[in-house]
Order: sequence, then structure tokens, then C-alpha cells
Amino acid sequence: MSRLAFPLALALGAVPSLGAQDANLTHLRWRADSLLGEWRQANAIADLVDSLERERAGSGRDTIAVGALRIVTNPSPLRVREAAARAWPLLDSLYGSAAAGLATRPYLVRAFDPDTTVRRPGLHVGMEVPWTLDVSALTQVLLANVPLDQPDPALSAWLSAPVRLLGSARTRGAVYVQLVTAPFQPARSCFLGDLRACRDALELGDGDPIERWYPGPTERRAVVSRWLPGASERPASAPGYRACVAGDDAACTNLLRSVPAAALPRPLDVTARATLVQTARRLGGREAYARLMAHPDAPMAERLASSAGVDLDVLLSKWRSEILAARPAPVALPPWALWVASAWTVVFAACGLRSSRWRVT
Amino acid sequence: MTDAIALQDLRYRAGKGFELKPLTLHVPTGSIYGFLGPNGSGKTTTIRLILGLLRPLSGRITVLGGTMPAEAPRILARVGYVPEQAHLDATLTVRETLRFQAPFYRTWDWPRAEQLLAQFRLADDRPFGRLSKGEKAKLMILLALAQRGELLVLDEPTDGLDPVVRRDILAALLEYVSQQGATVFISSHLVHELERICDWVAVLDDGRLVTEVPMVQLKNGTKRLRVRGAPVDLVPPPFVILARESENGGSAETWVVRDWQPEMAPYFDGIGAALQDVIDLDLEDGFVELLRTFRTPHA
Amino acid sequence: MFRAILFSQWKWSRLIVALGAVAGFALPIVSLQGAAAADRSPLQVESLLRVVQSWGTLYPVLAAALGLLVAMATWAPDHRGRHVHALSLPLPRWRYALLRFGAGVTVLAAPIVAVLLGALLATTAATIPAGLQTYPIALALRFALALLVAYAVFFAISAGTARTAGIILGAIAALIVVQIVAGVANVELGLPDRLQMLVLNWPGPLAVFTGRWMLLDV
Repeated sequence: MSRLAFPLALALGAVPSLGAQDANLTHLRWRADSLLGEWRQANAIADLVDSLERERAGSGRDTIAVGALRIVTNPSPLRVREAAARAWPLLDSLYGSAAAGLATRPYLVRAFDPDTTVRRPGLHVGMEVPWTLDVSALTQVLLANVPLDQPDPALSAWLSAPVRLLGSARTRGAVYVQLVTAPFQPARSCFLGDLRACRDALELGDGDPIERWYPGPTERRAVVSRWLPGASERPASAPGYRACVAGDDAACTNLLRSVPAAALPRPLDVTARATLVQTARRLGGREAYARLMAHPDAPMAERLASSAGVDLDVLLSKWRSEILAARPAPVALPPWALWVASAWTVVFAACGLRSSRWRVT
Repeated sequence: MTDAIALQDLRYRAGKGFELKPLTLHVPTGSIYGFLGPNGSGKTTTIRLILGLLRPLSGRITVLGGTMPAEAPRILARVGYVPEQAHLDATLTVRETLRFQAPFYRTWDWPRAEQLLAQFRLADDRPFGRLSKGEKAKLMILLALAQRGELLVLDEPTDGLDPVVRRDILAALLEYVSQQGATVFISSHLVHELERICDWVAVLDDGRLVTEVPMVQLKNGTKRLRVRGAPVDLVPPPFVILARESENGGSAETWVVRDWQPEMAPYFDGIGAALQDVIDLDLEDGFVELLRTFRTPHA
Repeated sequence: MFRAILFSQWKWSRLIVALGAVAGFALPIVSLQGAAAADRSPLQVESLLRVVQSWGTLYPVLAAALGLLVAMATWAPDHRGRHVHALSLPLPRWRYALLRFGAGVTVLAAPIVAVLLGALLATTAATIPAGLQTYPIALALRFALALLVAYAVFFAISAGTARTAGIILGAIAALIVVQIVAGVANVELGLPDRLQMLVLNWPGPLAVFTGRWMLLDV
């Protein structure tokens, strides 16, 4: 009995504190639930406002229908139907069956006169387009602002940008430059042909991002000193910063782990990931987009492979080939520049040859 | 006889200042033509017009049968020019200057150039900018002579030089003329210098031609006459009266005349005057009187 | 004739050309010095390119300076002598000017060759990270074009009379006055900007100077 007394006394003594902890927990849970409720309510109100704005924006306007494409716009000289006719086949090929969803998600276009000084009412939904825009430019606007459902949170977080299925050689060229110049080992190794490094660089790998993105002590130190200079000024992190800069790798790693993952510098930026999606779409064909959106809970690597219809490594290899092929034009002068500069030399020389004889006074 | 240089009603104006009035000149081929005038009279301007360095307002310039400035390159190949001021590249040595000049003239005479180099005692490794005034003048003369041109145009070539250098230059010039038979057009305000070498002389004053006569005529024909008892109104004489001044208010007068010859003495008998003395004037005196009377003509 | 004028040109511009050649030879080497050492981390490609780009800004400056100085040296002996000697030579004015121009271009070959040799040497001796390419010949060619354009521009200006220079300066002054008056009257003319675009963008005369001068790039 006496042997149990102390633990019993302890337990009895702890009951009030345990009870107090329980009460704290309950209170916190209650607060969390309350906040969640507030958030859901705010979202619902925002959706309602959006929907009302759409109703308002769409009222009293023309609706142009081309395929599943719907464009609600005010009467104007803007050649919307022609642009829609150009955009629809491309959207259909890019989005496949998902493009049918455009029928219920119309473009809201407000055409305005760019020459007038009359003040326009504020625009809350849709887009404003000057009605002097030509058909090609308007088509590009339609292609760049497809009003389909927002990507799921996982895709949004990975892509960090809207889904753009159309790319350009210029964008791929920029990614090429990143692969060559980015101060991260995965990017450099990816350039040199290491597909595992490409996975890490494109954030498709598993495991600790710090180990994957900054594999060596040198890189970790470089990342801290270049991207986290503010850590040297905060009392909590200053000692760790100094130790890291002095060469303590553990300090560097701890400092990096203390930063939210979203704030860490990526080996490659959003354009690289966007080009990967574009490559997957090209490989996967018409339904690539639908497959990409089909399983929002699956790992991103699987989703991309599914979208492309091939293994991830095949997709990455294809992507890498396209990027390498898009190497930007060198800084050397284009051939015609040689002739232009030579021509100007001749022009100015000819001006000099007309040096006047009548100069003696 | 054709003219090496012919100017016909030549006019030129430099801004609002100096103006060359209609100028007509004829430089006979093979002559040594002196171009006299005080400073600022337009000698250098006229020479530059002749060589196509200035564009005339109107008139005609003919040099060695060609029209200036239209045919300047072709004509200048046959002309040796010594300008008033040194104009050569100061960084080139004497030898380098010769090598620069030679390719432009097909008639360039290297042996002659070497000979003149020795004659003028010019150090061929000295830069032009480091030469003395006399040496520069010699070098420019050398260049003009080595070209073996048919016409030499010299703009005050001995101005500011010591007598020894002047003598050397004039000697080289005369030697060239005697060998080559070239025409020489030489301007100067040093009258006595031209007196010795020129066949013809023209006098310029303030852009106008005062006279253009053979040198002999100018030298010998300009006299100062002492006359007594001449009437106020005269019968036109056979000579040109440049000036007529009374002495001490009396009937004695001093006349300065041009184109005088001894056979003209009986003229004074005809007008009832007495010719008391005939005084020779040297070229310089004659030149001065010429200018004085040209500027303020007597009534 | 050309040799004679070339010799005169050489005498006036040999120091400029010599200094320009030394600078042109050294510039590529210095721009890659240390930046492309064998022990440099391949992860420092970005900073390497930045260094190369910043040194690269000196090429157009060198080209412009050389063009200006050699053009001035071309006409210097004639300006000193008030062109009397040149005008008394038995050849047309345009031909004389052409000989002068050719002599200037000839002496400018030295700095161009120096840049080419320096660029070739620098790129051969340096350790270039994978993915980067070297452009020694393209750089030297561009330098040559810029140098020739600069020389031609300043040659033409230097060959002009005082009246011509006055006209050019007057035109520039008129442009400035018009712009000021427009500014006061609140009228957006944007003349300097438009002129700048015309001159500095292709196919403008000075476009060869603008942009990045990269001995090394992706």
C-alpha cells in the first residue's frame, strides 16, 4: 500500500493538471472548429459574390458560342467570334474532353474603347480587352486565360502557377539557361543527364527536400548565406547563421529546416515545371489534361506519368531533350547584322569622302 | 606666246572683309613673274585661287592650259607650290617627308632631291617640326623643285629668312629655271629681291591690280623729274604722271612719272616749262610712289 | 601613295593603336581570369556569367574610344596644316579622303587581331563549365564591326568643315529646344526616346554597340 501511495499521490496530484490540459485541448479544439466554420462561411459568401458578379457581368450582353467555348461580351468592334473560332480547335486539342467544361464556364470579356476618357465601372470578374486588339492577339488572350476549374491544391502547390498547356521555345530556352546556370547540384546534374537529379530538381522525388536540393555542405552554406541573410539579424537564428557561415553543416541544415518548405529556394522555378506539364500533354495526347486532373490525391510524379501515358523517366528524358533543343541563340551577331554594320560603315565613310575641298580661308 | 597662268575678271570675297576686285593677269610661259604688293593686298588669296584652294565668285582661271578648279588634280601634278607658311606634317623627318611627297608626282626626281638635300645641308633624320624657319623654307623649296613641275608658285618664299638662306634659295631657283625652262610665279613684298630675278611684275593693292608690266619697264621708266614753270593745265604727256607736287610753294615742282624715256624731254619745251633734273628711282621707291598715287590719285 | 599615307597615319596613331591592342588583348583574358579556374565550383556558373557580362561592357567602350582617337589622328596632320598641303596634292579630294580612311582602317586591324588572339587564348586556357559555350571569334567580329562603325562616324565628323560641325551641333541643339518647348507646352513628343530607339536598335547605326558582349554564354 505504501508503495502505491506515492504513485497514487502523484496520480491524484496530476489529475487536476491533466484535467487542466484536457480543458486547454478542448478549448483549442473548439477554437479550431470555430475558425474552420468561419472560413467555410467566408468561402461560401465569396463564392456567392463571385456568382452574383458573374450574373451581373453576363446580363445584357452577347454570348458567342463556338464549339464548347462560350464568350459573354458587350457589343463592340472586337472580333470575338473570329478569335473564338481560332482558339476553340486548339483548346479542344489541348484540354480534350475537359474542354467541354467551358460550356458552363464562359469567358467574360468586357471590350472597351481605349481612346475614350470616360471612366469605366470597376471590373470584378472577367477581363477587360481594348477593342482595338486584333484577332491574333485576342486569340492569344483567350488561350492564356482559360476559365476552367482551378487546379487542385496539390497541383497548385507544385506548379505555383496556373496550368498553361501552351509553351514556347522562348520559355524552354529560359529553362535551358536555368539548367546550366542554377547554383544547385540537381539542376546541373539534370543538365548533364542524371534523370534522378531531374526528379529532385522538379520536386518529383521523395525524401527530405533539403538533402535532395542541396546535397552538399557547400551548397547548404551557399543557400543560407545567399537566401537567408535575414537570419543573421534575428536573435533566435543569428548564432546558427554565424556557425553555418563558419562551416558548421549541421547548423546550416538546422537553419534550413527551420524555414517553411515553401520558402526554400527551388533548384528550378515555375517555368521549368510548367514546361514539364506541357511535355506531358504533348506525349499524352488529347486526354492528357483530364488524366492529370483525375487523381488529385496521387503523388505528382504518378499524375504526370499518367498524364503523359509513359513512365516518369521517359517523360523526364523527353522533357530534357526538348529543353536542350531549345538552347537560346548565342550572343553572336546574326548574319544580317554583319551586313547592316558594314553598310553603316560604308555610309559614314562616304560622308567622310565628301569632305569639302572648300575649307581654306 | 601662251600664258602659264591667265586670270580673267577674277572675283573673290572672303566674308564681309577682304574682296578681290575683277582681276586680270597674264603670266607668260617661261617667265619669272613677280607678284608685288603690301601685306594684306591679296597676294596669297590670288595664289590660292590659282591653285584651286579657294573657289572664286566669278571669272576664269587658266593654269597650264587647264581650267581651275575643275581640273585641279591634273594641273597640280605639274605645279610646284611653296606656301606662305609651313604646312607639312611636323612628325615626319626630312627624309620621311620626301618619301611622303614623292609617290604623288610621277615626275619626281630623286637624284635632284638628294642633291638639293646636300646643297641645303638639311639633316634628313630631323623631324620637320624641329627644323628652323630657314630649314623649313629650304625643305619646301626642295620639295617644289624635286617635283620637276612646269610651273613654280612661290608665296613669299624668303620672308623672314636671313640673307644667306635667301641667297641659297634664290640661287636654287634660278638654277632650276635655267635648266628646266619653267615658269615661276613668285609673290613677295620684298621689292629689291624680285628686282634681280623677275622678268615681269604685277602690283596688287587692296585686291586691285595696280599695274602689270615687264620689270625693265617698271624699273627704268619710273623717274622723279624736277620741273620749273609748268602750267597748271597740261597737254597730255607721252608718259604717265603719277604725282605732281610743288616745292616750297614756288614754280618749281617735283613730278613722279612712269614709262619715261629720255626722248620725251622736248615735251617740256612744248609746254613752256624747263626740265631741270631727271632722278632715277629704284624699284622700291617706284613701287612706293606707285602705291601712293594709286591710293590717292592726283587731280 | 597609300603607303605614304599609311606611314603618316602610323606615326600619328601608333601609341593609340599600341595601347588599344594591349587593352584588347588583355580584356578577354582578364574577364575569364580566375572566373574559369579549374578549381571553381560548377555551381558558380551564374556568377561567372555575371563577371563575364560586366567585363564585356568594356568592349564597346574600347571600340568607341579607339575609333574616336584614330579618326582624330587620321585628320590631325591636315587640321594642323589647315589642309593646305593635302589640297595642293595632285589627286581629287575624295580619293585623298579614301586613302586616309583606308590607312585608319589598316592600323585598326591591330587591336582587332589583339582581341581575337586574347579571346582565343583566354578560352583555350580556361576551364569552361559544361553547358557554356565560348564565342571568341564572334566577339572579335562584333568588336571589329563596332570599331569600324565608330571610326567611320568620327572620321566623317572629323573630315567635315567647321560649318558642317556647326550644322550638326545646330541640329542637335534644335532637337533639344523643340523637346524643351514641347515639354513646357505639355505636349508629349518623346523625340529623344524615339531617336534613341532608332539609333540604338537594329538596324540603327549604333545597334552593334548595344546588348551583351559575352565571351562566354549558354
